[in-house]
Amino acid sequence: MITLQHITVRFGDRRILDDISAEVAPARITAVMGPNGCGKTTLLRCIGGLLEPNEGQALIDGQPVLDYSARALAQKVAFVRQQTQTDFDFSAFETVLMGRNPYQKRLQNESQADWDIVEQCMRQTNTWHLRFSKPHQMSGGELQRVMIARALAQQTPVLLMDEPVSNLDIAHQLEIMRLLRNDNGKTILIVIHDLNLALQFCDDLMLFHSGKLLYQGPVAGGLTPQNIQTVYGVSAHLADGRIIYDY
Amino acid sequence: MNPQKHILNPWVVVVLVVLLLATIVGSSLVGAVDINAEDLYKEFKLWVGQCFGKENIDTAELRTLWFFVQLRLPRILMCVLVGGVLSVCGAAYQSIFRNPLTDPYVLGVSSGASLGAAVAILLGWGAIQWGVSGLALATALLTVLLIYKIASIGNRMHTTTLLLTGVCFTLLISAIISFLMVMNHEKMDDIIFWTMGSFDPSRISWEDVEVMLPVAAVGIGVVLWYSRDLNLLLAGSEAAKSMGVEVEKVKRVLLLFTTLMVAFAVSSCGVIGFVGLIVPHAVRLVVGADNRKVVPYSMLCGALFVLVCDTLARTVLRPGELPVGSLTSMVGAPLFIYLLYKSKKKY
Repeated sequence: MITLQHITVRFGDRRILDDISAEVAPARITAVMGPNGCGKTTLLRCIGGLLEPNEGQALIDGQPVLDYSARALAQKVAFVRQQTQTDFDFSAFETVLMGRNPYQKRLQNESQADWDIVEQCMRQTNTWHLRFSKPHQMSGGELQRVMIARALAQQTPVLLMDEPVSNLDIAHQLEIMRLLRNDNGKTILIVIHDLNLALQFCDDLMLFHSGKLLYQGPVAGGLTPQNIQTVYGVSAHLADGRIIYDY
Repeated sequence: MNPQKHILNPWVVVVLVVLLLATIVGSSLVGAVDINAEDLYKEFKLWVGQCFGKENIDTAELRTLWFFVQLRLPRILMCVLVGGVLSVCGAAYQSIFRNPLTDPYVLGVSSGASLGAAVAILLGWGAIQWGVSGLALATALLTVLLIYKIASIGNRMHTTTLLLTGVCFTLLISAIISFLMVMNHEKMDDIIFWTMGSFDPSRISWEDVEVMLPVAAVGIGVVLWYSRDLNLLLAGSEAAKSMGVEVEKVKRVLLLFTTLMVAFAVSSCGVIGFVGLIVPHAVRLVVGADNRKVVPYSMLCGALFVLVCDTLARTVLRPGELPVGSLTSMVGAPLFIYLLYKSKKKY
């Protein structure tokens, strides 16, 4: 259970998030939407304990996220971020294995269970054939799926995903969304830009507009032509349950 | 697929340790003066006999033994310790800063130490025990502390700022040292000789080994303890944190211990370049990026590498000596370029 209490984040004079209070429904997929720079990533970072809000706090299971130890929080929340690069060569397998860190003791070797979980997560994300590949040998989309596998390997009840499918082709977008759909019981917050993908795969919607939470509720009720006009300044209409842009 | 039983390959460890021990033995017998193993053994028997009070002998008869124990042995042990320390710290820094170009001196330890040593030499402290190395240690630690203070915002540190501040201070201090040298021509040689780095018996004695050994043991132990966290730090600070690493704490502890290790090493031996940069990279090219392998293998290979270089330094031009720092570069650079070239072909 994720609770947001009066979260305000300022970068300099800019209010990125302005007094956001909400409850995120457990065991559902919530799409976090809004134009670029409206504070979606910032919100996820607050929930993930990576950023201390100027005011307010995020709670998970009734406890402020900043009161958790890094290890305890990593057993509750996994985070798939936008692309990160490194010059050092870990194979895809080693990368996903890092997701098991919150469950391992120091100086202890990985167990058979860890390896089985990693294999399962890599098969789910269709990355098992890449297990020996180094970062520079993979495409952006393949790397992204490895990162998703790493987050799944953390086996957390909460999954925060910052544009996890933006780099993927349509087949892999659908595959990942289907995977999230089938993974029952996880509370998933996903930043996504494709309105129709959100409509098809997400349960709920948090729609942000200049630092404010404009709408929270079932996704179909939020993605109305009126809201789309307000938030993105784009006119659109609905046809057969799909959003069609007018231009 | 099954997990590996051992992260380190026990055979490789055994081979490296045996190789290191063999090199220690071989290296201890050659030098400006070669030591005859037979003589050494004879004198050792005499000494043992003396210890049990069987016979009283003139200490002059134990010249070889004395030379071996007092001059050769501390030098060799110091090579091993400093080689291990520099390589482990290099591996740690490269992971903490996520930058393959960092070496153990990047935070200004070496320049700080050089400044302290230069001042001590100018003050004529060369003859006082711990005079030069003590002041070098103090200024090395002060410099890092200053750089660290400048680069941290609140209680978070910004690694890029830390690196840039370190580079700036290094340049500033070397300018100051040049100035000091020009103003004091007669001491120029001494200062240059100090900065070049060497394990010469005029600098290294048993006392240095006695100080370095516990520092190295504790420091390397700490780095090994956090070696998995180092892997996660390579994935980025935020990623590491969301995978359960107390990032700020781990970075601070590691920087503290690595800085102490490097400061102690530099203040007694001077600047020995290249080791901390290339040994971890060479190891990585062979075993991959996992720091649980890179750190211990770097320790063994670094010790071996510095020992071999120092042995060459004191035998190639004997009875003269080459500065070991230039040898580490002359031997290391071609070796490293070869490894790079070979690994390039794989892709």
